[in-house]
Amino acid sequence: MAAHVLPPAPPVQRPRVLMVATAFASAAVVMVFITLLGIYLNERATVLDAGSKWLPEGATIPLQQPNTIFITLLMSVISIAWAANAISKNDRVNAYLALGLTLMLGFASIVMTTYLWTLMKLDIEGGVQGVLIYTITGAHIVMLVVAMVFVALMSIRALGGQFNSRERDGIGAAALFWYSMVAVYALIWIIIYVTK
Amino acid sequence: MALTDTRPESAEASAVAPALAPSPITIFGTGDHKAIGTVYVVAALLFGVAGWVVNALVSLHAVGDGSFLSADAFQTMFTLDRLGLILLVAVPLFLGLATYVVPLQVGAATVAFPRAAAAALWGWLLSSGVLIVANCIDGGLDGARPKAVALGLLALGGLVTSLLLGTVSVLTTAIALRTPGLSLGRVPMFTWSSLVGGAVWMLTLPALVAAVLLAWVDQRYGTGDSFGAGAQWKMVGWVAATPQIYAVLIPGLGLALDAVATLVGVRLPLRGVVQFAIGAFGVLSVGVFAQSLFYADYTDQALWIVMSLAIVVPVLLVLAALGTLFKAGRPRLASPLGLAVVGLLLTLLGAVAGALMVFSPLELLDNGVFAAGQFNLVLAAAVTFAAAGVMYWGPKITGRTPVDAAGKLAVLLFLAGGALAGLPMCVLGFATKFTGLADANDALMWLSGIGAVVLALGALVVLAGLLSGARKGAPEAGADPWGTGQTLEWACPSPPPTGNFGTLAVVRSPEPLLDEEA
Repeated sequence: MAAHVLPPAPPVQRPRVLMVATAFASAAVVMVFITLLGIYLNERATVLDAGSKWLPEGATIPLQQPNTIFITLLMSVISIAWAANAISKNDRVNAYLALGLTLMLGFASIVMTTYLWTLMKLDIEGGVQGVLIYTITGAHIVMLVVAMVFVALMSIRALGGQFNSRERDGIGAAALFWYSMVAVYALIWIIIYVTK
Repeated sequence: MALTDTRPESAEASAVAPALAPSPITIFGTGDHKAIGTVYVVAALLFGVAGWVVNALVSLHAVGDGSFLSADAFQTMFTLDRLGLILLVAVPLFLGLATYVVPLQVGAATVAFPRAAAAALWGWLLSSGVLIVANCIDGGLDGARPKAVALGLLALGGLVTSLLLGTVSVLTTAIALRTPGLSLGRVPMFTWSSLVGGAVWMLTLPALVAAVLLAWVDQRYGTGDSFGAGAQWKMVGWVAATPQIYAVLIPGLGLALDAVATLVGVRLPLRGVVQFAIGAFGVLSVGVFAQSLFYADYTDQALWIVMSLAIVVPVLLVLAALGTLFKAGRPRLASPLGLAVVGLLLTLLGAVAGALMVFSPLELLDNGVFAAGQFNLVLAAAVTFAAAGVMYWGPKITGRTPVDAAGKLAVLLFLAGGALAGLPMCVLGFATKFTGLADANDALMWLSGIGAVVLALGALVVLAGLLSGARKGAPEAGADPWGTGQTLEWACPSPPPTGNFGTLAVVRSPEPLLDEEA
């Protein structure tokens, strides 16, 4: 039995716990989508190799709405970067404005996606295509909602006086998750909507 | 208050030592990483007892004409056994130990995001319960009752997500809350292997979530024909197959080295090489590509063949490091040492068995028995490593010295049980080449079943060993009960008070306590 007495260390300097955790969480979520899209590509190749069409009879996937969603999300990337930049300069007014705009653009993307679902005329009970497309796009909506909750939470904390040029991990972490969400949509856009 | 609201480093130290075991009521609301880790370990050991009994029943089904269980019951028990031993036993055991020990090893006041860690624990426990109930009502993977299957899939998804949330807490602690001077090159081997293992889990288990999500959507909203019965186990079975199965072992490698270095009383040599070996083991256990439903011929792929063969090399490197430790020091015959050695031997057996599967002329993949034997070897190794951790850190957890005789009995049980549960099946795997072996089918499967029961007993004995430290009259452990502690967890009282160290410690080498004594 022994006792050890070590000299005290100075306080930890700004451990970026939220940023690190968000990076791990984002990687995990991206892996979920990479797996789903991998399965999608594999199933589509199997159907096409058999000489059949991928989409069932009567189903259609227009490109206009996916393009609009993609552009909207690209704009949201600019707005969340604007928020992170503004908070790094202690410019709180611009940060609030950018965070609000980001949330609005996220909400617009949800609305557009649900509208796209009504246009597709794709029955989830019609086969593997419906299950895959609705699972992937639905999971992305869930990711978008989580990102919006994250941004909203950080916005409330910013409104409460937290975050400044030295302590801005919350906004940075929310921005990181938002970028991941948009990157995932870019994959969905290419794989499901463009190369359908 | 949000999960992210309190910075872990702001937790204040308390001069008052906590009770040996938190009361059941306070456990429910606690964000204390010690209580969370302890609940993980105790629950996973209990699941381990049940899991190895189910494993024995699955083995005994192969005795005789295979009528011991009905087809539905066998399917349910087989899938629950495979997933249960991984997700209800091995991973939570290591996650629990990591939640308890990693903050102590890196000199942190608490785990990062303590409330997220608590949410992960309760989410895992709740999901585990629902998964077991769903399996009991024929809702296992490929089960016959669609609504029960949907419930089971939902529970499985929640279970994996909870484990991932807990892993994020541990990983963030190891990355962002290390005390000054403790670079990644200096972290204790258990922290390093938890970092590697956690990273591998973070990158691979989401693929399991994706598969479960697809199956659940098809089961709940579709017709259940696309990813329904018959396809579900093929979608998730890769988790229990080579090479992904090795991912459950990763934290155990570092744990074994930490325990042996302490009990031998010398510094671990060639730390860089050992860290590389554990990292390589982690990389080679990424098996997310090996999904038989989508890539039926993955066992013919060069990637799978190379990974299955190469995984033996890091295991040999770790064993070489172990040998160097034994040569340089004077081993103390305590139970964690024995359990660590047994765990490494079982790991080597499992890795060699996995490498043998590559050689197609041996036809070891044909009947699935050899793979089942390899699964048992690897899972026995994982549970043995975890048992070593429980006995090694037991005095730290309870604050009192546990009965080491229980640990020494566990060494024998895990050695015998691991070998019996795995090796007879591996031998039987050669039956396609040596037809005479088929006559020994019943005897070998009986041996395997007995081995699984012995492993269940081992888990029970380890649990008893841990609890023996909480008995009245047990000698107090003190901060460093082994007297040769090298890493920071042995610098704080046993059990650690709230805030662990009070003020964070500063370190100048991988073995700060040895520096202090020098």
